[in-house]
Amino acid sequence: MSSEPRERPPTSLLIPCSYLSTESNKTGSWRFLRPRYEEKTAPCSAACPAGEDIARIEMLTAEGLFHEAWETVLRENPFAGICGRVCYHPCESVCNRGEFDEPVAVHILERFLADAAARFELKPDLDRLAARSEKIAVVGSGPSGLAAAYFLARLGYQAHVFETMPEPGGVLRWGIPLYRLPFSVLNQEIALIRELGVRIHCDREVSPQSLAAAGSSYDAVFLGCGHSRSLRLKIPGENLDGVEDGLRFLGRIRRGETPVLQGTVAVVGGGNTAMDVARSAARLGARPVVIYRRRRQDMPAFAEEVEMALAEGVELRELETPVAIRRRGGRLVVTLQEMRVAGEDSRGRARVEPDSGKTREMEVQRLFLAVGATTAEEWQDPPPEGRGVLSLSNGVLVHRPGHPVLVFGGDLVAETKSVVHAVASGKEAAIALDLIFREGLEAVRPRLHACLVGEGPSLSMEVYLGGPRSRRNHRIVRYEDLNTDHFRFAPRIMEPRLLKEERLRSFAEMVLKIGANLATREAERCFSCGLCNDCDNCQLFCPDLAVIRDRKAGSRSINYDYCKGCGLCVVECPRNAMVLEEEALCARS
Amino acid sequence: MRKVIEGSHAVSEGARLARAQVISAYPITPQTHIVERLSEFCADGTLDARFLRVESEHSALAALIGAASTGVRTFTATSSQGLALMHELLHWASGARLPIVMANVNRALAPGWNIWADQTDSLAQRDTGWIQLYCEDSQEVLDSTLQAYRLAEWVYLPVMVILDAFFLSHTYEPVDIPDQETVDRFLPPFRPRFHLDPESPCTFGQMSPPGVYMEMRRSIQAAMEDALAAFADVEEEFSRVHGRRYGPVEAIQCDDAEVILVTSGTVTSTSRQVIAELRARGEKVGLLKIKLFRPFPMESIRAALGRAQKVAVIDRNFSFGASGIFAQEIRAALCNLPGHPAVFGYIAGLGGRDVTTAVIEEVYVRTRDAERPQEESIWMGLQEVKHAT
Repeated sequence: MSSEPRERPPTSLLIPCSYLSTESNKTGSWRFLRPRYEEKTAPCSAACPAGEDIARIEMLTAEGLFHEAWETVLRENPFAGICGRVCYHPCESVCNRGEFDEPVAVHILERFLADAAARFELKPDLDRLAARSEKIAVVGSGPSGLAAAYFLARLGYQAHVFETMPEPGGVLRWGIPLYRLPFSVLNQEIALIRELGVRIHCDREVSPQSLAAAGSSYDAVFLGCGHSRSLRLKIPGENLDGVEDGLRFLGRIRRGETPVLQGTVAVVGGGNTAMDVARSAARLGARPVVIYRRRRQDMPAFAEEVEMALAEGVELRELETPVAIRRRGGRLVVTLQEMRVAGEDSRGRARVEPDSGKTREMEVQRLFLAVGATTAEEWQDPPPEGRGVLSLSNGVLVHRPGHPVLVFGGDLVAETKSVVHAVASGKEAAIALDLIFREGLEAVRPRLHACLVGEGPSLSMEVYLGGPRSRRNHRIVRYEDLNTDHFRFAPRIMEPRLLKEERLRSFAEMVLKIGANLATREAERCFSCGLCNDCDNCQLFCPDLAVIRDRKAGSRSINYDYCKGCGLCVVECPRNAMVLEEEALCARS
Repeated sequence: MRKVIEGSHAVSEGARLARAQVISAYPITPQTHIVERLSEFCADGTLDARFLRVESEHSALAALIGAASTGVRTFTATSSQGLALMHELLHWASGARLPIVMANVNRALAPGWNIWADQTDSLAQRDTGWIQLYCEDSQEVLDSTLQAYRLAEWVYLPVMVILDAFFLSHTYEPVDIPDQETVDRFLPPFRPRFHLDPESPCTFGQMSPPGVYMEMRRSIQAAMEDALAAFADVEEEFSRVHGRRYGPVEAIQCDDAEVILVTSGTVTSTSRQVIAELRARGEKVGLLKIKLFRPFPMESIRAALGRAQKVAVIDRNFSFGASGIFAQEIRAALCNLPGHPAVFGYIAGLGGRDVTTAVIEEVYVRTRDAERPQEESIWMGLQEVKHAT
């Protein structure tokens, strides 16, 4: 071993060093705490009504594995491109990164993945169960109906969708303006659903009679026909020429009409439809004024939609409501009653009442009503609780012997009316029906509970199908659980948008695409809360070399013969994908 | 290749040519440009080394102790407060017999804050078991860095290469930078006699009871004694390849000198000029430069100074409650020599104050004119302080 380079005799070298290997000293016997790999639940995935595995999606995106990332979206949500555009992304408001610098731009990345998949004409390879004999009718081809059919098809069922209109999509096609959702995206994602074997029959009105007759051909019916009848104000002059229903107006534009507007137009209402109507009117040449009886913070429209509308020049008048409309020449004169706040309701919204005597008149060219909608017919309303009625998070299930199982889903039951809630509803219905057919009605509640993401109510199809995600702990990773020393500050990506002037000129999509380099950079900002991304900090920091890395298998394990249970690996895990537990002392003795 | 470079970069070039494999540093004042340049070498691929930016000087040396245990060549650089913070690990490095090389830029200790030249920082570490090499110019800095690795790896002791702040570290001088091939001939890859190997784990530095501890300490001293001889061999080999040698001490016109000045670091260069002028005036003066401070080259010093009547030691350092540290060492070296010269201690240039030719000449004149030393240390050029409380 001596390697003295010259004839010089070796220097005296008496050092404290063991003669033999110390491997016989099993330091693991000192351990009273045991580290263990355990993936947990990211807050974003639990906040996503569709339960998307966002932390994993971003991890894959950061690695440039766009196909796999896109498939990971599709496991829980067939509408990556649609939700990437129109979802109100509750995931971002709970993003742990928000406490560090700014939340990850989940929706921009979701859209990027869908766009990339479309551009390269990728086909998803999704797990599907063996075909089953049961057939399910889906009423309505809006987001909930399509989602139900999509998940049912993946669970092996034949799903037949019936749509009143000549083309499928429901509110996605007729309600959401083109500048937010181009047809190409909608058509692409509907095509993916069709490729799973889902049959969509358009121009097919469903009546109580046909529903009653469905029993002979179908084992279950999913009702996702949505709220298509607009509510009215019930004020004088509401039926005058020039007063139009907002939803109908949006539908006309989507059908290709370009009504010419000019001057001031009023839009009554504070929901997303009101925002869509106002912004569409602005694009058609009008100066829209939104009239809302409560305050801005009480509006049911998503905050971002309100913000964009205001940015595009829409005027908002709060605490006013129309009480009468009359004609004067070619114009409408609207009498507005001022409202005042008189306390709050249970959801924290202002309760308002007329401020007596305070009215004013406003002259407008047109008036659009967007004060909400309800079911078109009574039979579409879910029944009250009772025998054979099972109320779920996003649906009401009616199970009566001798009849097909009936599920009321989508907007028929939703408290928050959004595309992603419709997806959640379709997924919940598909799983519930599968459970009824395979295991019976009693299995529905407990088995659905086992598929919750975090504490729910979001459900995971991957968990239902026993995928790797089912091994995760339901505990939601908090910001304090992360070791942020291992992250650097990085600004959130700016959403590229058309200039305001360009936006108002046409119905062209206003949010622009981003490239792969920006997408990976943004995805790298994701903490991947609770998930292991192979950073190997555990191995690097282990003072006992007790973390064994199997590079071929891409896995790692702990050699408990030598792990002293110091917990460094758990502390240095940036994303809380490990856990430190007390050793079961009695188990050893 | 001859190039005009900064003194601190002479160290960087030395570490690069020595093919240091792990470099760690804490990059905040009192750190110098040494590691800055090395980090650039690592970043641009000029040097294939792992550069660790750590959170303190204590960690800088701790990291090197870990790295050096595996048998790789290591380097760090520090100064003053940073070196003081390393103190515990200085002992560990030598006790573990790790051939770590470190550059220390001699800077004054605070307070008051002062980053100028002062040797107290490194001299305060004289008992830590590190070999210490004090340099006079940038060429010597580069050469000593290369020699340091050879020496360290021969005797399994850490080596400190020491240079004056600013006078050397921030001054540009022409330096002959040898090519890699020549250096590789002088400094072959290190093949350690022991190293930490995860494949065959052993315990290092474990509990050593009274029955064995003393022998281990003696072993360190044996290696230190060996280092004196090894240094001569290293210089021999170095001069064969590079044509330069410095010696553990350098005696200039000492043979017939009645008064000999003893210096270290850059004061030596100024003193060379002073004694040349004094000699021209017929003064019997000599100069002894001390390069190797640990191990202390006792015999060479006795041989150089033994025949003089008086020795004047100029210390740019001070041991409070005693005297200049070089003066103490010289006195100790001479005291058992029958009829040894009187040793005069002078304190000059603390905290970077200039030690000019006038100061050195005054040291000479005062020594020549005094019968015997009246006090342990004479503080040169002290100003009257009027507002002291």
